[in-house]
Amino acid sequence: MDPDKQTIIGSPERRVDAWGKVTGTAKFAADYSLPHQLYGKVLRSKHPHARIVSINTGNAAKLRGVEAVLTAGDIPGSRKFGVVVKNQEILAGEKVRYLGDGVALVAARSAEIAEEALRLIDVVYEALPVVSDPEAAMWEGAPRIHPEGNVFVHHKVRKGDIEKGFAESDFVIQRRFRTQFIEHCAIETEAVLAEPAEHGGVKIVGSIQNLFSSRRSVAAALNLDLNQVQLIQATLGGSFGGKDEVMTSMCCRAALLARATGRPVKMVNTREESMLESYKRHPYAMYYRWGAKNDGTITAMEIRCIADGGAYASMSPFVTWRSVVQATGPYACENVRTDVYAVYTNNNYTGAMRGFGSPQVNFAIESMMDELAERAGMNPLEIRIRNCFRRGSVTATGQKLDHVVSLQEVLEKAAGEIGFEEKWKRYRAATEGTHRRGVGLACSYRGVSLGAEGADAAEAAVSVQTDGSVIVSSGITDMGQGAGTQMSQIVAGVFGIPLGRVRFLNTDTSRVADSGPTVASRGTITGGAAAKNAAEVVRATLLGVAGEMSGISPRDLEMAEGYVVRTADRSRLASFAEVAAECFEKGRPMHGIGWHRSPKTTWDEATGQGDAYFTFVYGANAAEVVVDTETGKVDVEDFVSVHDVGRAINRDAVRGQMIGGVAMGLGYGLLEEFVLEEGIPAQHNFDEYLIPTSMDVPPVKTVIVENEDPAGPFGAKSVGEPANEIAAPAIVNAIFNATGKRITELPADLERVRLGHALRRPGPRGSALKETEQSLPDLSCKIRPAER
Amino acid sequence: MKPFTYIAPGSVKEAVAALHENGGTARVLAGGTDLLLEWRRPGVRMPAVVVDISRIESLRRISLEGPDILLGPLATHGELMRSGVIRSGAAILASAASTIGSPQIRNRGTIGGNIMNGAPCADTVPPLIALGATVTLSSADGTRECHLSGFFNKPYATIATGEELLTQVRFPALLPGTKASFVKLARRNALSISRLSVAAVVSVDDSGLITDARIVPGAAHSVWKRTMEAENLLIGKAPSATLFAEAGRVVSAVVIKETGRRWSTEYKEPVIAALVRRTLEKCFTDNDGHPS
Repeated sequence: MDPDKQTIIGSPERRVDAWGKVTGTAKFAADYSLPHQLYGKVLRSKHPHARIVSINTGNAAKLRGVEAVLTAGDIPGSRKFGVVVKNQEILAGEKVRYLGDGVALVAARSAEIAEEALRLIDVVYEALPVVSDPEAAMWEGAPRIHPEGNVFVHHKVRKGDIEKGFAESDFVIQRRFRTQFIEHCAIETEAVLAEPAEHGGVKIVGSIQNLFSSRRSVAAALNLDLNQVQLIQATLGGSFGGKDEVMTSMCCRAALLARATGRPVKMVNTREESMLESYKRHPYAMYYRWGAKNDGTITAMEIRCIADGGAYASMSPFVTWRSVVQATGPYACENVRTDVYAVYTNNNYTGAMRGFGSPQVNFAIESMMDELAERAGMNPLEIRIRNCFRRGSVTATGQKLDHVVSLQEVLEKAAGEIGFEEKWKRYRAATEGTHRRGVGLACSYRGVSLGAEGADAAEAAVSVQTDGSVIVSSGITDMGQGAGTQMSQIVAGVFGIPLGRVRFLNTDTSRVADSGPTVASRGTITGGAAAKNAAEVVRATLLGVAGEMSGISPRDLEMAEGYVVRTADRSRLASFAEVAAECFEKGRPMHGIGWHRSPKTTWDEATGQGDAYFTFVYGANAAEVVVDTETGKVDVEDFVSVHDVGRAINRDAVRGQMIGGVAMGLGYGLLEEFVLEEGIPAQHNFDEYLIPTSMDVPPVKTVIVENEDPAGPFGAKSVGEPANEIAAPAIVNAIFNATGKRITELPADLERVRLGHALRRPGPRGSALKETEQSLPDLSCKIRPAER
Repeated sequence: MKPFTYIAPGSVKEAVAALHENGGTARVLAGGTDLLLEWRRPGVRMPAVVVDISRIESLRRISLEGPDILLGPLATHGELMRSGVIRSGAAILASAASTIGSPQIRNRGTIGGNIMNGAPCADTVPPLIALGATVTLSSADGTRECHLSGFFNKPYATIATGEELLTQVRFPALLPGTKASFVKLARRNALSISRLSVAAVVSVDDSGLITDARIVPGAAHSVWKRTMEAENLLIGKAPSATLFAEAGRVVSAVVIKETGRRWSTEYKEPVIAALVRRTLEKCFTDNDGHPS
């Protein structure tokens, strides 16, 4: 270690959970078991939309080894849950609204017996018309999924005079874009172990992202007080936004079975069950119409987006709200009219996924920007720099950006690193050969944390032990993204001790305060700020004790390199451990609670005006691709990711987020598509749902830009979601540079790149389909079709 | 709750006896890379009996016998890739095997399984047909040998009865001067199923004229077949870009003629033509044929 180093902040320290994960001592939810535990399984719907006429569980209940069979009527408390709109059912009572809906539960002595029991449950359905196209779902007279109608969200932004803006324009660009359903693909599927608690209530260990909202639903379903429901986070094998409602539902179901049997109940989804039931990233249909002047100035932006919300509201109201705030991209325009809708269909419901409403609109915005460059006769870098926000710019929602707005900096760094301008010109001129090269650029601005969605506060607790080791716990959870390392490193920074002296505890709802959900890239900025506050409480006590020990005023002391040192001459007075031991001897508190509440945000729903987020982050991506024009195969050969993160707490963690974000964004751009036809999924596992392999992701050059923001701990902001949200448009813009053809629907797969549109199979498809001699399998042919 | 009766015979004799005893209803398990996935499907009908042949060591060989290469059905894709016999006598097969799945799948998946599963996208089948392979089927009643080109009835169905076990694959090693190559189009660069593929074996005489050609497109027909129309076009002519492009158009036309114009034809028509042209070009550049 650098002997002159004053602080651990920014250092590429090893993750606090690395050792346990690589040696196998880390315990994931499915690794937990208890004596006498039962196995819970869910009977799911047979129809995407149907009325339940009757459910007969008699035969299943009689099967040897079955301990409980439950239906909606067996739920003592609230049958419904939902953070924004409470309309999702733990078990469907009268109606099923998508194929993943659960209608009955079984607890049995083995998973196999439970599976067998599911086959013995007889459910009579009356099929209802299936609504699978969100735009058709908006029509008057479309079958209703919920009584209140299918359009359940309409967010607006109104700025200036849109008619005047178009009147002033020299030309208008109008495009329609579409994006697809995306599966989160956490390597760990959903899993919980629920047990009846010692003194009543229930205790659940699980793979849960947002423990406090899941706890509320369990308590409501079982008629328990919140203090009777203890949710403990197991080491989590990835979430990406995907372990919220689907886990709430699993927690409720396991708790109901544990209550009914008085025994621990374990539930683990297979990958197939997970893909069938879990929520996805929203597909969007986006209508973009921009007016611009010949010099590239944008005079009007008219934007209309329709998000497929699927069967339940889930996070759609918030996801689409972020879209409406960010739908113009980081570009100045006086006249804006944006409408974003979310509608119900009988598809998988859609909710939070890394990006949360930004990957969709960024694809449209950044494609439009390149189209604008074409029309204005500028290159993609020039057009962006000409129009992008600067410090003092006013966004579409009327918010003045009064922090360092580094768009030009990140754009120039991304472009410079990949050699953008020279290559863009050269590749554009090349028209020979079957394999063509292209470079593409994309950038974004992103509101940090929850914004005007709601209260934004979190707790962390720091406890110094008598040997100088430290325990950190928080209501902000580590899902593998590194929040535990960030919070621990911040605490180590405040105490001037090595990270190895800090241990992070996974969230336990009965031991830390409700800190809201761990979403919106708020782990470091909110959780980290709370951890810093907590550590500073204890630091003040420890320095007081050190002052008494040395006779030097605490004001002249600081903590560095494991010691309390005199600021003036850097002389070491006592080790951190000695001061901690002395603090205990003197009976002083060595435990600190830190609370952090984010700065105020405002929003006017009618006009879509307000200070939507308390600060923003800025990023740019540049991609270089090779397009096989004869087959449509695209290879990404080079990639540069540049993000202004405020300040990196751990440079390797930031780089990890950036590289992982690009890999995931590459899948979004080129490969991934969860296909539903009339509400029926065509993919069940990773043999059919294709995510990028290490052979598909090029080495990613990462550039960390640091413009410290006073809103974050040590100036840190966010990187988790920004890292993921602009890779796809950078790639699609590179395809345009290579071929001159604009891809307007994701993913840019073989067919779309070769033909300019997707192949559409008439009628049903997928490997579940019985193949005939006339019907060769086209999507997947690895597995023999099921013999039923 | 036993899903099926499991039998692990130690010899071919025991294996065919087990198949016979179960009246042809048993499923044969080798590497398991297709079967285990199939059994995960919701609603799948499990077989009553599974005969696991993976312990029959005699079915694992890769050897040269006179002019022929003999493969046991348990030879894995990984072994084919690495085998000196294959790399020098049928590099096209090593090349095709190397495109299958991931290292883990290649170390479990077998050539016998790839053939018997009968998926239209099986990557070793087009090269084997182009190499003129025959397969030996054994049963309690004896053995028979058939050409792989006539082995498949339709997707996932072969002429083998449920009581027959594939025990050997045989094909002549490529002669000096023979050129061969395999081209696969997939959606991603690893762990990917063929969208389309083409295998070609081409012989030329001393004057450079093509004397023999075999072209087998993969994942294109419902049953693999050589495209004689295109092969005949090549024979007697000197290799050229124009000739290969024309051969590509002929193969594409033959495929479309068989399958009819379907929703996916718009894509397959030009792409098959391009892949055939590339495969033939590759024969004359970095070919997988006999190292001369």
